[in-house]
Amino acid sequence: MKTTRRSLVLTGAALALAAGIGMTAQSAPAQAEYPEKPISYIIPFGPGGESDITARMQQPFFKDKFNQDLVISYKPGAGGAVGWSGLNSLKGDGYTMMGVNLPHIVLQPQQKDVGYKTDEITMLYWFHYTPDAIVVTDDSPFKTLQDLIKFAKENPGKLIFSGSGKGTAPHLAQVRFDKLAGVKTTYVPFKGTGASVAALMGKQVTAAMAFTTVAANYEKTRLLAVAMEKRHPRFPDVPTFKELGIDIVSGAYRGIAVPKSTPEPIRQKLTAMIKAVNEDPAFLKKMEEGGFAPVDYAYGKSADDFLAKFAKDVTAAAKEAGMLK
Amino acid sequence: MAGFEHLLTALTPLNLAFALFGVVAGTVIGAIPGLTATMSVAVLVPLTFAMPTSSALILMGAIYTGAIYGGAYSAILLNTPGTPSAIATTFDGYPLAKKGDGDYAITIACLASVIGGLIGAVALMTLAPPLSEVALAFGPVEYFWLAIFGLSLIAALSEGSLIKGVAGGALGLLLSCIGVAEVAGDVRLTFGSQTMLSGIQIVAALIGLFCIPVLIDLVAQPGHHLKVDSGSRGFRLGEAVRYLWGDKINAVRSAVIGTVVGILPGAGGSIASLVSYSEAQRTAKPGQQYGKGEPGGIIASESANNATVGGGFIPTLVLGIPGTPPDAVILGALLVQGVRTGPSLFANQGEIVYTFIWGLILATILMLPTGLFIGRYAYRTIITLPKALLVPAIAFMTIIGSYAIRNNISDVIIMIVLGGFGWVIGRFGFTASPIVLGLILGPIAESGFVQAWTIGRATDNQMGMFFGRPISIAIIVFTLFTLLSPFVLARLKKIKDQAHAD
Amino acid sequence: MQTDDRKDTGGAVISAVMIGIACLVIWDSLSYMDADSAVFPRTFAGVLIAASLAYIVMWLLGRAKSGAAPEGGSSARRMLLVAVMLGGTIAMPVVGFIGSALPVFAALTLIAMYDPWTRFRILVYPLIGTAIVLGFFYLFREVLLVPLPTGSLFEG
Repeated sequence: MKTTRRSLVLTGAALALAAGIGMTAQSAPAQAEYPEKPISYIIPFGPGGESDITARMQQPFFKDKFNQDLVISYKPGAGGAVGWSGLNSLKGDGYTMMGVNLPHIVLQPQQKDVGYKTDEITMLYWFHYTPDAIVVTDDSPFKTLQDLIKFAKENPGKLIFSGSGKGTAPHLAQVRFDKLAGVKTTYVPFKGTGASVAALMGKQVTAAMAFTTVAANYEKTRLLAVAMEKRHPRFPDVPTFKELGIDIVSGAYRGIAVPKSTPEPIRQKLTAMIKAVNEDPAFLKKMEEGGFAPVDYAYGKSADDFLAKFAKDVTAAAKEAGMLK
Repeated sequence: MAGFEHLLTALTPLNLAFALFGVVAGTVIGAIPGLTATMSVAVLVPLTFAMPTSSALILMGAIYTGAIYGGAYSAILLNTPGTPSAIATTFDGYPLAKKGDGDYAITIACLASVIGGLIGAVALMTLAPPLSEVALAFGPVEYFWLAIFGLSLIAALSEGSLIKGVAGGALGLLLSCIGVAEVAGDVRLTFGSQTMLSGIQIVAALIGLFCIPVLIDLVAQPGHHLKVDSGSRGFRLGEAVRYLWGDKINAVRSAVIGTVVGILPGAGGSIASLVSYSEAQRTAKPGQQYGKGEPGGIIASESANNATVGGGFIPTLVLGIPGTPPDAVILGALLVQGVRTGPSLFANQGEIVYTFIWGLILATILMLPTGLFIGRYAYRTIITLPKALLVPAIAFMTIIGSYAIRNNISDVIIMIVLGGFGWVIGRFGFTASPIVLGLILGPIAESGFVQAWTIGRATDNQMGMFFGRPISIAIIVFTLFTLLSPFVLARLKKIKDQAHAD
Repeated sequence: MQTDDRKDTGGAVISAVMIGIACLVIWDSLSYMDADSAVFPRTFAGVLIAASLAYIVMWLLGRAKSGAAPEGGSSARRMLLVAVMLGGTIAMPVVGFIGSALPVFAALTLIAMYDPWTRFRILVYPLIGTAIVLGFFYLFREVLLVPLPTGSLFEG
């Protein structure tokens, strides 16, 4: 009996020691020069999508500034939910982070059981959003938003918007547009923004409820209005919805999160690094040309307040649209 | 030909090295089930940041075209499409390999891929702007009917019982619904399971339904996997060229189908190879036995899927709309480099475009020697590896391959379970091909239908939407023709015979 | 094939299973919020039921002939193959990729072994197996950047 107990105590002590060594071994490099190896950047969508492309744009700037690679990998499935539901089981050592999208992480857990909750995600930084915008082809008879609204008022239901998916930023924007402009339009969901723009260019639909980035990437398209507070510098001639008396400021936001187990100092450091990339003038210029709108909500109160307000607004809008019970 | 002067720019040693490396790496990657062309291109993206744009494009285009060809190896030797584009290659490739003609099948596949790749690339060089209109002419309802046309192939593929084929196809369509619905927001058929939430990944399902049954039967008995003939027979190139010459119409027609389907953003290599296979089978000469090891089936599938490479670049470069999933990745890499695709790309940056197209043509030609050599090596490996190593090696590759598609263990589990299920129902005459057809075409048919229905309802013209558009009518007529022509022909023959007898 | 004249009872049983699956689909489709997402599964569940019923009727009339001959060979090895692959995969998140792949490879070698174990084979087969596993591990992890699971056992 005695020997058993003694060996148990010894084993326990050994384990504690090992754990201690392990912990010091782990925290030591963090205090030294983090990052000392490439950082894995997981995109919860497939390659070639807009989330991938923005990550690819950050990649060279990150390498330049911190002399470490961002290694991009993909974990697509269920509109991003597969990635986010697995985020907290990943290693929280500062070498794993994941792209996060809004309104996805607010709406998905409210619609169904997707294996994560919004507040379980440790957000470090929100870096930009792609503002919602109404897009038409360059030869469209609709020259202004008023033209479009006039047509919609005269022909209820006949104005057809294409958009990416249901319960998404474009879908919400369409529902809000209908309500605030006092019209009734038809929304046709497509698989992704690219497909919805292809349908627009093929004249299968009247207009696309898409993003400012579309007009930057496709030559034969034109914006009628953008859902921003101020006009987008890349499109100084395109009015905001607000100017036209329709109070829509919305879009799809992107940010970065880490596993919950990531220690506080590393969270701070990583946040500062992403922020530095996002504030680099050359990077900003690239984002602006691409039609993105940079934001700056960093880890802590700033990111928390932003997410809380966004969640409140988007939840209310989704309930109104009948997407949530 | 336009842009001849850019041939020399494409011929720099660096570009040639990229083309060669891309084709070899692509072929090897494509041969491993689960490693798709999309993934191999995505891995290269960071490397291309530091390169001149046209070299980067050549490298990515070469690896893409190589990967599409490499998919034929596992299709022929293991009955497993290495990439979804090679699905129709299994129909005749594997029976041919089983008969001991795997080497011949691989040589045929290589020749057909080169021909298809060249025709697709030439279309890209000469006809890109007008052909890109095809991408825009296809609306939701056209995709719906195209998917229905693809499903009509079930009738031809279900050996034995047509009813079982239809049941299998319906099962595949239902399996494709699992997970978060593609265009609506609902979660379907997961029954609360997190494993099912991401749905059934098509490549994982292909590996499961095609490869696992082969493995299951491989372990059950001693003896070789494929019939082996003694002695070296070289590449059997002469034999293959002679067959190809006799079947040249099939090769060219399939390449044209592949180019056009490649242009359609919602379709892709798998549909191209299925459609051209269906056409080859419909126009079979007497004595050709499709589905039982007819080299013509490999020609149709491989010529078509390599033609989608050039075809897919057409909307990608002209409109900025990716024709196929790998094109989406390439487009992303171009955006990062600051190159905006669109109509003005051809006008203002013609040098980049034409240098790239010449590079793609070079890479396709390089595929002939490299493909033959790698193919021979793959064939030798498969026939000489003892069973006790072959079985675990293939099993290991199915696991790592189906994991790598989405970096998700659930896909591996679904792959194995589907494989076991497929083996069981296969014993009772429910074959894998209709199920897979349903899985691939299900999402296209469903989203096309829902979108067309919504638009039709908005315009109060449901009939006109589904039956009134010219391209739709053409596809419907074609579908009916494919389905009914065997019966009508048989009937006509009967009448003729009777007339002769009287 | 001598079994050609046998009635295809197995096919009829599978058809009955298919009807069960179709009913499950229809039941699930009752819970969808969006009508658009129910149309497609319900339609094809209907097709599945119709085709399966038609087959069962054919079987009852004695017109369903079983085409495939029952295959010989070792059923035990077949089941072991699937069981080993599945077990290895389920264990992968815990024991890691290598920790799962090496034992699975070894087990499958044993299952697929029909030749006698000579000294040469005992020495060489494990070497080749390890080389394949480690080679692919390196290729996927380092070259293709696939985040293969390291296993929760080995993480701090």
